Amino acid sequence: MPFTSKIERQTDYNDFPSSIPIVIDNGASYFRIGWAGESEPRVVFRNIVQRPRHKTTGETVTIVGDHDPALLKYFDCTRSGPRSAFDSDVVYQFEIMEYILDFAFDRLGANGSEIDHPILITECVCNPVQSRSKMAELLFETYGVPSVAFGVDAAFSYKYNQQLGVCDKDGLAICPGFSTTHVIPFVDGEPVYKGSCRTNVGGYHITDYLKQLLSLKFPQHMAKLTWEKVEDLKMEHCYIAPDYFSEAQVFQKGTKEAEDKTRCWQLPWVPPPTEEPPSEEEIARKAAIKERQGQRLREMAEAKRSSRINELENQLHGLDFLLQQLEQVEENDIPSFLATTGYVSKQEVEASISKATQSLRKAKGEPKGEQAEIEESSTGEKYPLVHIPDHMLSLEQLKEKKRQIFLKTTTEGRQRAKQKRAEEGLERERKNQQDEERRLENPELYLEQMRAKYKELSEKVEQRKRLKTNGGHTNGNNPSGGVGRGERLNAAQRERMRLLTTAAFDRGKGEDTFGAKDEDWQLYKLMSKDNDDDEDGLDADEVELTRLSSRLQEVDPTFVPKQEAVPSQSAPEPPRIRPLTKEDFQILIGVERFRCPEILFSPNWLGIDHVGLDEMTGVSIRRLPSKDVDLEEKLTSSILLTGGSCLFPGISERLEAGIRMIRPCGAPIKVVRALDPILDAWRGAALYAADLQFPEQTFSKIDYYEKGEDWLRRYQFQYTL
Amino acid sequence: MYDKYPKGQSRGRHWKHLKQILQAENYQNYPPDEPNYVNIESPPSMHPCKRICDITGFEAPYYDPRTNLRYANAEVFKLVRSLPNEYVQRYLALRNAAVVLK
Repeated sequence: MPFTSKIERQTDYNDFPSSIPIVIDNGASYFRIGWAGESEPRVVFRNIVQRPRHKTTGETVTIVGDHDPALLKYFDCTRSGPRSAFDSDVVYQFEIMEYILDFAFDRLGANGSEIDHPILITECVCNPVQSRSKMAELLFETYGVPSVAFGVDAAFSYKYNQQLGVCDKDGLAICPGFSTTHVIPFVDGEPVYKGSCRTNVGGYHITDYLKQLLSLKFPQHMAKLTWEKVEDLKMEHCYIAPDYFSEAQVFQKGTKEAEDKTRCWQLPWVPPPTEEPPSEEEIARKAAIKERQGQRLREMAEAKRSSRINELENQLHGLDFLLQQLEQVEENDIPSFLATTGYVSKQEVEASISKATQSLRKAKGEPKGEQAEIEESSTGEKYPLVHIPDHMLSLEQLKEKKRQIFLKTTTEGRQRAKQKRAEEGLERERKNQQDEERRLENPELYLEQMRAKYKELSEKVEQRKRLKTNGGHTNGNNPSGGVGRGERLNAAQRERMRLLTTAAFDRGKGEDTFGAKDEDWQLYKLMSKDNDDDEDGLDADEVELTRLSSRLQEVDPTFVPKQEAVPSQSAPEPPRIRPLTKEDFQILIGVERFRCPEILFSPNWLGIDHVGLDEMTGVSIRRLPSKDVDLEEKLTSSILLTGGSCLFPGISERLEAGIRMIRPCGAPIKVVRALDPILDAWRGAALYAADLQFPEQTFSKIDYYEKGEDWLRRYQFQYTL
Repeated sequence: MYDKYPKGQSRGRHWKHLKQILQAENYQNYPPDEPNYVNIESPPSMHPCKRICDITGFEAPYYDPRTNLRYANAEVFKLVRSLPNEYVQRYLALRNAAVVLK
């Protein structure tokens, strides 16, 4: 992290006499303030303001500069994002600027709103006079500053490096900043603004481009890609390719080199707990528990059964005893005798005895079969009325006869079904036996045949099913039976639709002969919906198929029955979700590493129709009033790179190659980077503010009001000491 | 953290956009050889534009007239055609070529 904030409040503000100027480097990304003559700014913070609302109290607070994310969780930042006072390096929102200056002076240690020190503040090249005068007004009126001077940050940086011998007094300062990039030629140690040139592309655009590209590439991690994080990624990983397309080629081919150059940001990810198969002991323990539970249930059932048998036996004994007693009692006394027991007649007692006997037999688990057989054998006597003609019976008997006929037919039907089942079983058995014989004769051939047959049959059944399920009402997601647009119909449904439409057309056209023949009415049967493939029962093929598959399962250990197609009634199974892995939480930065900073050289990738960094030098030299080859060579042999966005590795080499292409062959070209591209502007300004001639460059409030706007427009800081 | 304006203070817009500021400067009234904020701006590039694939960043010889995206090869083309319109517009917005409805 090359940029760090320093916002501890300074305590030695009162130690400085009022003649010592305060120096401010008011950059679009960072604000730096400190004392003239010192080598480091005292306070550095991001030049932004946020005004979030407190989540509970609803109070709006103003947060200047960086913030503590831990503290910020109490605030609702969704309503207003971070705001900057700058647009393309020009200060235009002085309300925000005031918050920032308030905070800065407070951090510098000033108590009270009066700042009794001259101020040197930086601005962009050719700052519009409106912005300059507003800034001066703010400093004079709000803070009571005695005098103010404005200078250009890139020029201060160049002069500072010139003093340290990095560059000459004739040269070019190339300053890719936060939102703009400037090129300023220096002739005899003074900046020539006439020859300067500005492209509105800078670090902000690079970060934004990277952020957009990454969030398009990894839309699932968009929330993780905050501005601050992407800014960090940019500073850590981005570089300028010596030649963009050949570098891209490397990545396009996907070679090992490209893999090495791809950086990966692993997002926090916790692997899901893997379920280990239970150990032997665990299985044994579980089985034991199950066994014990089963045992207990069985015991309980046994106890219940024995108690029921006991109860029934007791009841039977009691009833037997009652019957014996009844036999001794006189016929007339029976009702009075029975009144105490709850029975009405002897028959009832007998009935309950037989019922109890049956229940007892059932409880003891004896088969009911013999009784059923008895019933069967006695069909004749059971339905005595069936064969007697109607005219010989009374009304009651007629009713009884009807009932008996019904009973008889159902019993017979049941018997027939039973017989059929038995026959089918026999048939299957026979077939299996045949198969077995064949198998024993030639197992290989037999298996082969079986498999072929199975395949053929299963395909047949499958196809039929597909035809069925393709229809509208069996489609699963359309259970209402309506036929949606674009859904294919099966043959029967198509036929039905055809019939319906032709019927609709036929009506009222010509002579209506519909209904003359009986077959005409068959049409309605065809039309009705129930007609659609309703033979849901298994047909012969399916029966055979199930038999074959079960047979194959018996004899062929390698056989796996084909999974049944998804039942047409239930919704289709949801697609299996792939478990998330570590790779899903990685953000890979490959081509983006050099694609994003490349916009400094090709701003038209952002739709900004300006020249890039390399061409800017050519434009700048061309703009100079005097066409002097000597001077041009002097300029190109002392090119200084400064500003935050010149920190990308490889930018000097690339710039040199680019400038070489636009300069005459053999022209001397030397590109150097400033000692500290970030802080040199402030240091240069601090140096100038400490100079004895500095007070002559400042202007006071009286000057500001007396000399007027035109003077202020022409105001220019002199960089020659 | 510093609270200057208490809640309830009128917060009208007291500032002009940069465009308005530049318009108010009346640069056309000053001699054209005098440098100002507008005329130090860079001119358009004289070099042919480097065409890169909007999605991968590779060299892009092709252009899809349906989505207006540039693409590098057939694989990327498949991706281009499968992109939802929202993403197409976001890719186009990167180079300021998206359809803007006003």
